Amino acid sequence: MIGIVVVSHSPALADAAVALALEMVAGAPPPIAVAAGAGEGVIGTDAIAVAAAIDEVASPDGVLVFMDLGSAVLSASMALEFTATDAEVRLSDAPFVEGVVAGIVLAAAGASLADAAREASSAMTAKNAQLESAPPADPQTAAPVVDGSVTAEAEATIVNDVGLHARPASVIVAKMAEFDARVRIADADDPTRSAPAGSLLALMGLGLGKGTRLRISGTGPDAAAAVEWVRAMTADGYGE
Amino acid sequence: MTVADVSLDRLVDWLTRFRALVTENQGYLTELDSAIGDADHGSNMARGMNAVIDKLGEPQTVDALFKTVGMTLVSSVGGASGPLYGTFFLRIGTTAGAVDSLDGATLSAGLRAGFEGVISRGKAEPGDKTMVDAMGPALDALDASLGSGSDPAAAAAAAFEAAQRGRDATEPLVARKGRASYLGERSAGHLDPGATSTAFLFQALAEALA
Repeated sequence: MIGIVVVSHSPALADAAVALALEMVAGAPPPIAVAAGAGEGVIGTDAIAVAAAIDEVASPDGVLVFMDLGSAVLSASMALEFTATDAEVRLSDAPFVEGVVAGIVLAAAGASLADAAREASSAMTAKNAQLESAPPADPQTAAPVVDGSVTAEAEATIVNDVGLHARPASVIVAKMAEFDARVRIADADDPTRSAPAGSLLALMGLGLGKGTRLRISGTGPDAAAAVEWVRAMTADGYGE
Repeated sequence: MTVADVSLDRLVDWLTRFRALVTENQGYLTELDSAIGDADHGSNMARGMNAVIDKLGEPQTVDALFKTVGMTLVSSVGGASGPLYGTFFLRIGTTAGAVDSLDGATLSAGLRAGFEGVISRGKAEPGDKTMVDAMGPALDALDASLGSGSDPAAAAAAAFEAAQRGRDATEPLVARKGRASYLGERSAGHLDPGATSTAFLFQALAEALA
C-alpha cells in the first residue's frame, strides 16, 4: 500500500482533511503521516518534519505527498533532499482536499503510486465537470463512447442505500486497473451523466444514488469481463 | 580595517548581524508583509535567525556552519522564506566545503550557488517582486567589484548598495510569485518583504566584512 503524507500550514486543516478521507475508507487505511505547522503553534511548514513524515510512511510501494499552498510546496520539494528512504516519492499537484481524499481512498483500495497520483491530479477536471464551468480537459472523461466502438454493454440498478459513493467507487477504480479495457459508467436515463470507471473523483462527482439505472459500457480486449464485473458488483449493492 | 580573507568568525558575525537586523526590523518586515502577504515575514525571520544563533555552537568549517544555519531555518521559519533562505545557506556551505575561511572568489562562488538554489527552489525570475530582485543585483555588484580588484569588504559594500536599489525597485512591481501574487495589480506600490530582508542580509555582510 502506498503511503500518504499530508503537508499543511495548519495541523487542524491537515487533520480535518485526513478525517474527511478516512470516512470513505472501509478497510484498513494506508499509512498516513501529517506534517503540519511550524511547531509551537506557529502556522507554517517545516521541511525537516515533511522529510520525517515521508520516511515514516515509506515502503517500496512509494509515497504520495499532498500540500496546501505556498511554503508547503517549497518545504515538500526541499524535504526530498533530506529523506532517508529509497522509495519513490511523488509530490501531487492536486488541490489539497480533493487530493488528500482521492489519495487516501485510492491507497486504501490498493492503487499504485502512478494511478493514485494521476487520479488525484485529475481532481480539478472532475470538479469543473460537476460545475459545468469548463470544457472537460481529458478526452477520456469528455468523449461519450461512440456506439460502434462499444464491445460490451450492460445495465444494472444501484440498490445500496447511499449509492455509488466514494467507497464503492474506490473499489471499482482499483479493480478496473486489472482489466485491459476502457469502461464508462453512465446514468441510463441521462447519458450526459457519465464518467470513466477508472476515475474515482469523476465517479463520485456523478452523485449516482440508490435506484439509478446504470449503463456500463466498455471497449478493449477485457471489456466483457470488466463490464460484467461492474454490473454484478452494482447489482450486489457493492457489498454493502 | 579591510580583509582579503573572510574568516569563520566574520561569517558568524554576518549571521549575528543579520539576526539583529531582522529582529530590530521585525515589525517593519511584518508591516510590509501585511500589505501584500500573510503578515508573518518579520516574525518568521526573527524566529528563524534567533534559532540559528542559538544553534550555532562552535563550527570548525564553513560547510558545517552553513549546514546548521540552513537546516535550522528550514525547520524554524515556517513560511516560504524558510526553504528559500535555508537553500541559500545550505548551498553556500556545500560549495565552500570543509574550509575555515573564504576569499573573494570562494565567497562569490558560494553566494552565487546559494542564489541559484533560491531560484531553483522558488522558480522566481527577476521582476517577479521577490528576494531575487535584491539578491541578483547584489551578487552582480559583488562580482563586478571583485573583478575590478576590490577586496571582499569593498565588494560586500557594493553588494549592499545594489541590494538596496533592487529592493527599492520592487515597489512598483506586480507580484508574480508567492502569496502577494494573489493580489495581482494591488501588490504594486509596496516594497517586497523578501527583497527587504535580503537587503538586510547584504547590509549585515557589508558590516561584518568592513
